[in-house]
Amino acid sequence: MSEIPDDFKNLRRLLKLKQHEVPPPGYFNMLAGDVISRIRAGESGGQHTTLERLDEQWPRLAALLRLFEARPGVIGGLATSVCVVLLGAVVLVDRTDEADSPMATMQMAQAASAGPDLASAVQLAPADNSGIMVSTNPVSSLQPATTLFGAPESSLFQTAAFTPAGH
Amino acid sequence: MRQARRGELSAYDELVRRYQERIYATVYHMTGNHEDANDLTQESFIKAYSALKSFKGGSSFYTWLYRIAVNKTINFLKQRRNKHHLSLDDLDFNAEHDPDLMALISEKTPHREVNLGELQKKLNEALMKLSEPHRTVVVLHDVQGVSHEEIAEIVGCNIGTVRSRLFYARQQLQGYLADYIKT
Repeated sequence: MSEIPDDFKNLRRLLKLKQHEVPPPGYFNMLAGDVISRIRAGESGGQHTTLERLDEQWPRLAALLRLFEARPGVIGGLATSVCVVLLGAVVLVDRTDEADSPMATMQMAQAASAGPDLASAVQLAPADNSGIMVSTNPVSSLQPATTLFGAPESSLFQTAAFTPAGH
Repeated sequence: MRQARRGELSAYDELVRRYQERIYATVYHMTGNHEDANDLTQESFIKAYSALKSFKGGSSFYTWLYRIAVNKTINFLKQRRNKHHLSLDDLDFNAEHDPDLMALISEKTPHREVNLGELQKKLNEALMKLSEPHRTVVVLHDVQGVSHEEIAEIVGCNIGTVRSRLFYARQQLQGYLADYIKT
């Protein structure tokens, strides 16, 4: 089998033109000297860049960094997709917490058994029923909520009882 | 070679002089730019010197040096994708007396008014349209005369891949240069 089909004969003739391209006169007299002086200069100072050192130790990581360097769009796209995934995860976790809240589930169940009016009232009421007012104000946030009967329904308050000895 | 590995710069200077023309030509034909070729050739020799101690001798020094230069050039071209700027070397005196080229211009080329300079430019532009792996194979084989086996070793692939890349690259070039090559 012929290695080079006849079709490419003229192309190969044309490619011979490349062999006639020559650098400026005297170029090769200078090249070796330039290389050696750069090596000497490198020996006196640091001659490896970080990427070159990385290339020798972790070539795949260096290739990845070069890809980012060559195509900034890739790193932009990657960063954007990571942000979108994180945001999606946060939203998903938030929704799951709301749905799985045991207090809310219990209130909804009780309200459903009591009747439709109460059920709608429970839906409007805050889930926190501990008697503590939640506020961003550090002073008022721990104030007990008052009830219609004057005493707060909270475990923070206990009625004091005194029974004298002998009675 | 042994002296160069011991760090003797005079010995390494000899090695540079021995291989500089072939390394420069390879890099130049891949970049189509003299200034880039000059930088990359120097950097290839500097890198080879610093890595000389790790050269195990599994391949010839010449193949190993070629591999460094080709990899460096491909990395450079990837960073400069689509930003090719031709800065071509002059044609030597012998080009005008090359019977193959003269025949191509006077008899085969449909554009008979074309001159060698224009042909050189068109040829280099066509080469730059090839992907780096295809260009590497065409440059090494059809311009530099490196064998398929050596190219496989330099590029790090098998001979079948070299042959298929060469065929595909020639087909592409033929298409780009259809006006200048009578098939």
